[in-house]
Amino acid sequence: MTQLDEGDWQSVSTKLALARRITLLFALVPVLVVVCVLWWWEEVPDFVAPTVAVVAVVIGIWAWWIIGRRVRSFGYLERSEDLLVRSGILFQRLVIVPYGRMQLVDVTAGPLDRALGITSVQLHTAAATTDAVIPGLTPEIAAQVRDRLALAGESRNPGV
Amino acid sequence: MLNEDGPWRVNPISPLVHAARSVPVWLGLVFVGASAVGYVWGPLTILLSVFIIVTLAGIVALFQFVNWQRLTFWFDDQGDFRVDSGVLTRQQRRIQLSRVQAVDVVQPLVARLFSMAEITIEVAGTGESRVRLSFLTLNEAHLLRETILTRARGAAPDGSTVARPDEVTVLSRVPWPTLAVSLLLRTSTAGLLILTAVILAIAIRREGWSGLGLALITGGVPILTVFAEFIRYYGFTVSEAEDGLRLRFGLLKTEHRTIPAGRVQAIEIVEPLLWRRKDWVRVRVNIAGVGKASDSSSSSNGGETLLTPVATRMEALALVSRLMPSLNFESMEWHSAPRRAWRRSPVQYPMLAIGWTDSFFTARRGRINRRTAVIPIARAQSVRWTQGAWERALNLASVHVDSTPGPVRISGLHLDAEFAKTVAGEQAERCAAQVR
Repeated sequence: MTQLDEGDWQSVSTKLALARRITLLFALVPVLVVVCVLWWWEEVPDFVAPTVAVVAVVIGIWAWWIIGRRVRSFGYLERSEDLLVRSGILFQRLVIVPYGRMQLVDVTAGPLDRALGITSVQLHTAAATTDAVIPGLTPEIAAQVRDRLALAGESRNPGV
Repeated sequence: MLNEDGPWRVNPISPLVHAARSVPVWLGLVFVGASAVGYVWGPLTILLSVFIIVTLAGIVALFQFVNWQRLTFWFDDQGDFRVDSGVLTRQQRRIQLSRVQAVDVVQPLVARLFSMAEITIEVAGTGESRVRLSFLTLNEAHLLRETILTRARGAAPDGSTVARPDEVTVLSRVPWPTLAVSLLLRTSTAGLLILTAVILAIAIRREGWSGLGLALITGGVPILTVFAEFIRYYGFTVSEAEDGLRLRFGLLKTEHRTIPAGRVQAIEIVEPLLWRRKDWVRVRVNIAGVGKASDSSSSSNGGETLLTPVATRMEALALVSRLMPSLNFESMEWHSAPRRAWRRSPVQYPMLAIGWTDSFFTARRGRINRRTAVIPIARAQSVRWTQGAWERALNLASVHVDSTPGPVRISGLHLDAEFAKTVAGEQAERCAAQVR
């Protein structure tokens, strides 16, 4: 029997948490606008704006904290025949992709990711449900992972 | 047509068929338009309407004639199938025959009056990967289909192939009363009909007739869907062909489909609650390159992924064994979800189970619509282990074996967490070991 939890699990860069927290702050900007509007609007009772603000701050702090935990939860493990990716706090998942079933490996980085120097690697199989993404790798590691995966995939007969 | 080398054209009367197909639309438009301006129907106005309809149909025919001139298809020197089309935007398509998934002959109602057929070619790949040629005579369509399939199999066809009917043995045929009863007894239909009865009863008792509008919807929708599906799947026949199973169905529009045995990725046997007395089942399949991810709901409009709309269990298993000969449910080792799973899924927990043999993996779920999904482990794309918050509180987890897009999902839900992880590991190992 194979123990899936054992082995040399790699984690992802903590810069990913930074990137996601910046995105979170951007998402809070419209909330700030709404709070201001509510504050200046005469017909709205006075307590509404502070309440919305407090709720937003509480949710923001909770999201801030959960982002840290979620980023730490990402991990991947390259074994001899397959790649394992795990993620999630509330909803945990573990994806096992045999190298022979990989169809292509995507390496993507958005503008914010590029500014921070992180990249995400996504594996595609013929199944749409595979869902194997490793976000938050440094570009060098991402390139190495991609090359290793491509090599491992090529040497095996592709599925479908 | 196919005797000489190409390029070939579709049948010259196709523009007329297209025009004839458009007549109902013009008819409707004229009626709506006439009643909008408050015409009084007299000989003159009828004559005028006929004139308008004929003119509009004539324009369609003219347009389609230009299209017809520009549409050519042939096999090129590399053995690819080429289709050039379009008037303003020229489109040149090149179809690698090795990528052809299925070639179907379809006869829409109007085309059937002209004994014409259209041919659709499914190609592996995403996006608009379907090529449609309309119209050919029925014989030509079958001949072209045969030629493409023969070439796709790699056998060189002798140039002078004559039309020959497919030599097929009929495996099963759904009698129309069975189809009608089964559609009425489907869980969603039956549920809506019962709801309608309840609404009617309340409306009559309370004499509150406002509820009748709702009853029209809850009663009308299922009757319409049953009617539509009955017409669509009427005379559903499965025959055995060289390359897999051939399906033929339809009352107004005859559809032909081929399920190539080699491309079937997964199979699901569905047993709705009200069908169990009769031991009826429905069988759906995932076919590489055919299904869409959005087909995953229980809606049965995916005619492309249906193996049979209704069959007795024995018939269904016989059909399944044509596609997966080594599948044997008896030798399956079943493992049920633990009793505590009832807290997560109080209704379906007694049905939840997974099973496997050396080369197959099965997952069963659903109490009202019992579903048994089977995948040859060599066809699995990846294996997932998932655990939601509530599952974790109960020390449960689920195993999913991913197949290509289609209606069949193989999910072993709410198993013991440790056991699920072990199974996921083992199945992934088996999957990786099977080189196809």
